[in-house]
This record gives sequence, C-alpha cells and structure tokens, in this order.
Amino acid sequence: MAEVSIVDYGIGNTGSICNMFRKLRIDAEVVSSPPALRDAKRLILPGIGAFDACMNALDSSGLRESVLEFASTHRPVLGICVGMQMLTLDSEEGHRAGLGLIRAHTRRFPDAAGVRIPHMGWNTIKWAITGHPLAHGLLNDCRFYFVHSFRVICESSANTLAACAYGGDFSAAIVSGNIAGVQFHPEKSHRFGLQLLRNFGNS
Amino acid sequence: MSSLRPRVIPCLQVAGGELLKTRRFKDPVYLGDPINAVKIFNDLDCDELIVVDIRATLEKRGPDYSLIEEFASEAFMPLAYGGGIDSIEQVRRILSIGIEKVVISTAAADGKLISAAAAIFGSQSVVVSVDVRKTLLGRREVWTKSGTRSTGIEPRVYAAHMESCGAGELFVQSIDLEGARTGYDLALMKEITGTVKIPVIACGGAGSIDDIRQLLRTSAVSAAAAGTIFVMHGKHRAPLISYPRPDEIASLVDISKGST
Repeated sequence: MAEVSIVDYGIGNTGSICNMFRKLRIDAEVVSSPPALRDAKRLILPGIGAFDACMNALDSSGLRESVLEFASTHRPVLGICVGMQMLTLDSEEGHRAGLGLIRAHTRRFPDAAGVRIPHMGWNTIKWAITGHPLAHGLLNDCRFYFVHSFRVICESSANTLAACAYGGDFSAAIVSGNIAGVQFHPEKSHRFGLQLLRNFGNS
Repeated sequence: MSSLRPRVIPCLQVAGGELLKTRRFKDPVYLGDPINAVKIFNDLDCDELIVVDIRATLEKRGPDYSLIEEFASEAFMPLAYGGGIDSIEQVRRILSIGIEKVVISTAAADGKLISAAAAIFGSQSVVVSVDVRKTLLGRREVWTKSGTRSTGIEPRVYAAHMESCGAGELFVQSIDLEGARTGYDLALMKEITGTVKIPVIACGGAGSIDDIRQLLRTSAVSAAAAGTIFVMHGKHRAPLISYPRPDEIASLVDISKGST
C-alpha cells in the first residue's frame, strides 16, 4: 500500500510530485475516489492557478468531504502551493471559503516598489518552529522554488512553521497538528525539496 | 529582501530526440543525448531549464510526449517546454506530465491561446517566446515559426499585448545574436523590461559569465538564459555541459545590485 497519496481533483502538478517520490523510492499513488482517500496513510493536496478554480474543482470532484474526514483522523496532510492556501480560511484572490483547517488567511502581496508579482524564483526560508519532523535535515536559509501571487498570513504565529521574506514576511510553511502546508514547490526544489518530501514520507 | 535573485537558465535545443545547438536559428550542431544533459543540469542544482524543440513547428508535428516524460522524470527543478504547442489540450497534457511551464511562440501571435491557457492553468504556467530580429534598417521586429516569418510588430508592442492577454513571463530572444557569443541585446532587454511588469527572461548572445553580469547590471530582467555557454566549450564549440557554482551566481547578483 502506498506511503503517500496525492489527491487528484483535476488541478495540480501530480506528475512532478510522483516523479520525486519515485526518485526517493517512496511508494506514492494518485488518488481520485473517496474510498482511496479513506485508506490513505498520508495525503498531499496539490494546487496551482486560481484559488476559486481549485476550490470549485475540489467540490466537483466530490472529494472535499473525504479530504476533511481524512484531516480529522490525525494522519498527516501536506498542502502544496495553492493546496496550502486551500487549507486556510479564505483568500483575497477569490470569493470561496477555504477548508479552514488552519487559522490563516490568504492575502495579496503589498503593492510596493520592486515587489514584482508573482513571487517567482528561488528564495530562502527560516524555520519558525525548530525540531518539526518536516524540517529534519534542512537548515535555515535553504532555498526553495516559489511561484505565487498571494501569500498566507497566520492568525497566530504558532502556526507559522517557516517564514520567507518578499515585500515583508509571510508564511512559507504552516502547521496545525497533523495538517501542514508549504507555499513553495518541494517537487521543483532539488535536494531541498527531496529532503522535505522524504521527511513527509517518513512522518 | 523584496527583490529575488535573478535566475540563470540553460536553454536546450532538441529535435528528433537529439540535443542540438544552432547559430542564428540555423546550422544545428549535434551535441548528444538531451536526457543526459537534463540529468547533469539537475545534479548541478541549476535554477531552471528551458527545453525547446526547434523543429516541431516547422515540421508541423506536435510535442514529443515520450521525450517530455523522460525530461520530467529527471528534472527536479522548474522546467519549461516549448515547440509545436498550439492547443489547450497539448498544454494540459504537458503540464500533467510534470512540466512547470509551456513556452508558446508561433501560436501565441493572436493572443487567443495565451488568454485561454492563462485562464485555465494560471499565468505562471504560460511563457511567451518573443523572437526578435533586426531588419536591414536596424528596426527590431518579432518573428515566429522558428524565425522564418516576420509579424512586422515591434517587440515592445508585441510584449505589451502578450502581457495583457495573460502571459506570465516573456522569453525574449535575439535571433541575430543566437550562438554569437558577443553579449546580449541590452537595449532590447531594457526596452522590454521597461514596458511590461511580468518577468522577462533574456536569451541570445551570452558568450561568458561576464555577459550575464552585464545584462543583470543594465536591465531589470528576472532571468538570464543561455545555450552555448552551458552546452559548449572553447572556440571549436566542443560539447560540454557546465553551470556556474552557487558562489559565482551570488557574485553576479551582488555586483548588479551595487551598480544600478
């Protein structure tokens, strides 16, 4: 049985996430039905593009309830990019509510000189919580690949797992119990991303 | 920090499953196995890769999906793929394989495919290739169909149109300087970055790391792409894959910051 299950609700880069787990020799599968989600050990929620488009696609795939049910069972969940933003309460990008699994909000970047949107490229992160299993083997200032136009701000700093600076600090990774999310793309971040996904596969 | 370090991007040309390198979009030289090149660039922790099938459009065939799948399974960095893409279905299939971005050139010209792709997959997945050639009178025009047809449109007008259609990034190439190793078209890059807000990737003309430094010093490009210097070595243009070390890349940026 697969160690990691990647939710396929029609949007998101499931291909490159699978490629990375293949490289890690961790058994990963793409899941698209409620029974498959129910049996999963660990869940990855991917997402790219617009927030509302992702929420709508999750609804029409019929997997929303399965994701929420899975999240309530204390098994690990990892949202990636817009998948992380979907874990928050809401987004300024759209009108839909998020899944609300972490008390955080997805907001615009401040409109400031020199802050080109999207935030696209390699940036370094600083861990705000030390000793978290996802951070194992990853030092402060390790670099990850980001592509996003909206950023996550947590209501409580206790939920910020890692911070990144771009037009001010924002949450590059968030956590609440078994639920975690990363704004960057570990599947596109060389050995740093490999290590993070290895950590998730071992969590 | 509110500005990101510019990316340094090898641009690989392929056709018929081979890694090639042209000059001024012509005279391809065979360099080897493209999958192997992607593997090496991955091991060198390169920022990003652009792979372009230089014959797909001219030979009127679609993308080579099995080759793209092999690239995707070896590249754990952002990878952009271009060549022969002219439909939403092709874009969908390429992105689902695990490619981060598509590069669209010929089929971008009327803007329709760009708007449609940006609406479905997000602007961040859509790169428009702006291939520029100078006329005999020195006027710059955008060319399509692998540099065989002029649109007659000025680069900054074309760039602004592509931005308004939803392009997430522009890949601006100087056809005249491609493979020339005499430096980038700095005036062109300055003009385009002064016109659009979306990130600009400059390509064409890099002969050394100093040329990249010069580019980053004089224009606000988000990325410097190059072919020859990353896949060839010496005046005999022998095949050799290389990529600057992290400290070399950091030095490019520090100097560019200090002088603008």
